[in-house]
Amino acid sequence: MSTTPLDGRVAHPIPAQAGIGLRAQHYHEVVETRPATGWFEVHSENYFGDGGPPLSYLERVRRDYPLSLHGVGLSLGTTDPLNLKHLQKLKSLIARFAPGLVSEHLCWSSIGGRYLNDLLPLPYTEEALQHVSQRILQTQDYLQREILIENVSSYLQYRHSTMPEQEFVAEVATRAGCGILLDVNNIYVSAVNHDFDPLAYLRAIPVASVREMHLAGFAVNHYDNGDILIDHHGAPVAQPVWDLYREALRRFGPTPTLIEWDTDIPPLAVLLDEARKADALLERQHAQVA
Amino acid sequence: MPRLRDLQEAFAAAVLKGTDSAFSAELVDGRFPGQRRLQVYRNNVFTSLTGALSAVYPVVTRLVGEGFFGYAADGYLRQYPAVSGNLHDVGHAFADFLRYFPAAATLPYLADVARLEWAWHQAFHGAEHAPLDLLTLAAVAAERHSDLRFFLHPTAQLVASDYPILRIWQTNQVDDAGDGQVDLAAGSEQGLVLRPHMTVEILPLSRGEYTLLQCLAAGTSLGTACDMAFGQDPALDLDGVLQKHIRHASLVAFQVDEKK
Repeated sequence: MSTTPLDGRVAHPIPAQAGIGLRAQHYHEVVETRPATGWFEVHSENYFGDGGPPLSYLERVRRDYPLSLHGVGLSLGTTDPLNLKHLQKLKSLIARFAPGLVSEHLCWSSIGGRYLNDLLPLPYTEEALQHVSQRILQTQDYLQREILIENVSSYLQYRHSTMPEQEFVAEVATRAGCGILLDVNNIYVSAVNHDFDPLAYLRAIPVASVREMHLAGFAVNHYDNGDILIDHHGAPVAQPVWDLYREALRRFGPTPTLIEWDTDIPPLAVLLDEARKADALLERQHAQVA
Repeated sequence: MPRLRDLQEAFAAAVLKGTDSAFSAELVDGRFPGQRRLQVYRNNVFTSLTGALSAVYPVVTRLVGEGFFGYAADGYLRQYPAVSGNLHDVGHAFADFLRYFPAAATLPYLADVARLEWAWHQAFHGAEHAPLDLLTLAAVAAERHSDLRFFLHPTAQLVASDYPILRIWQTNQVDDAGDGQVDLAAGSEQGLVLRPHMTVEILPLSRGEYTLLQCLAAGTSLGTACDMAFGQDPALDLDGVLQKHIRHASLVAFQVDEKK
């Protein structure tokens, strides 16, 4: 393992393998059994405390695995000023754990100082494009590193949007010089909810910008005039999402892929099984590249 | 076409206050009307915030049941909207809210139980501290003992109630082996919540002990703290109490004031 003269810890790059989200329910089992998985990802905010068991477990996990920090609360797209307290906590966490990747969502979650703690969609307009690109530039400048932005699931669209989401995502990555965390499940969920072609979405995303992918399960709300898919991260990855993932790997090549599971969290073995499925597809893609 | 800021303000108002008539006109209807689409966000926001609140307040949830808890959470979240992007910060004023929540007026101990659970949550995520340096403490001359100022562990928080909240808390732990009965007439209880290592502890305190720690936490000298504590409880076993709190790492540092 490599070392650094400063604090004895350098970022281990996230390998183009499957990783899993680290959840409190699995802390003990993970540090005791050191399961075979390529890397772990955590929600950054869960480690914003001054101390305690979460940070202590994360130290132990970080010793054995590459780590990715995934934020859910920075509210990049809000028209409020950037939350410097939040950014400061994130910067300290990055300094302490030297993550291979740092990501946030391309959305907003607060306004007027109030947090809705949900991933709310931006309108896809030139105004929003300029605003959020500027904010990502500011964030990267403050953190002194690249961040990835993740496409979110959505349940509504604004009448005044002037471009499709994929064009907006691609243009933000270009203007802000950030990477893309492509959430394949979110593309599928939104494609069903808004009747668009998920393959056309993939084709609009620049290959060189994609650094990570997410896979998760969704729930289905049934109504008289059809279904609305809800991105709840509480189920196995659905077959159409695996199919779309295969297409994504074909376009973007082998990419670090996270299995996300945040509600009704199952035994660790279930997460590892899902990760093995992703690894099998990744290996096939590696073989084709080689 | 609304400006981004106006759109975000209207969206938040539609979710938090339900004033959505103008806002849903901004949405593409498609297979579903904008109202239905907005309802998905309303559900997501309140479900995730209520879940976060309930995770911090499992005993309150158990005492009132999930249905009532959801009702209380809804009222709380409208009165005290979250002001942080960290879900662990949700719920800081829940005890204050419950104290004046008319629907919970028949459960006068509920707010104090909530205060205890918030202290537990703060202690869980609080800073670590090395134990007290006993050798240096032992070197302090006896005649200077009353000038000692002790510092409590950074996670330490004192709680007190007119009701037996420690017993209520213990009885409502999922792994509690007792008979589930608490006599509300048993009267007041005081405790110290702290996390010296990986596990949060709740130490029951006598009235005198509580006063002693309260004075020390406020930065008074040991001499003054003892005067106050003996005023509460003339029979207080001072040596025993100090040893207990050094052993449990409630007291983690000290200084000796310069002689005046």
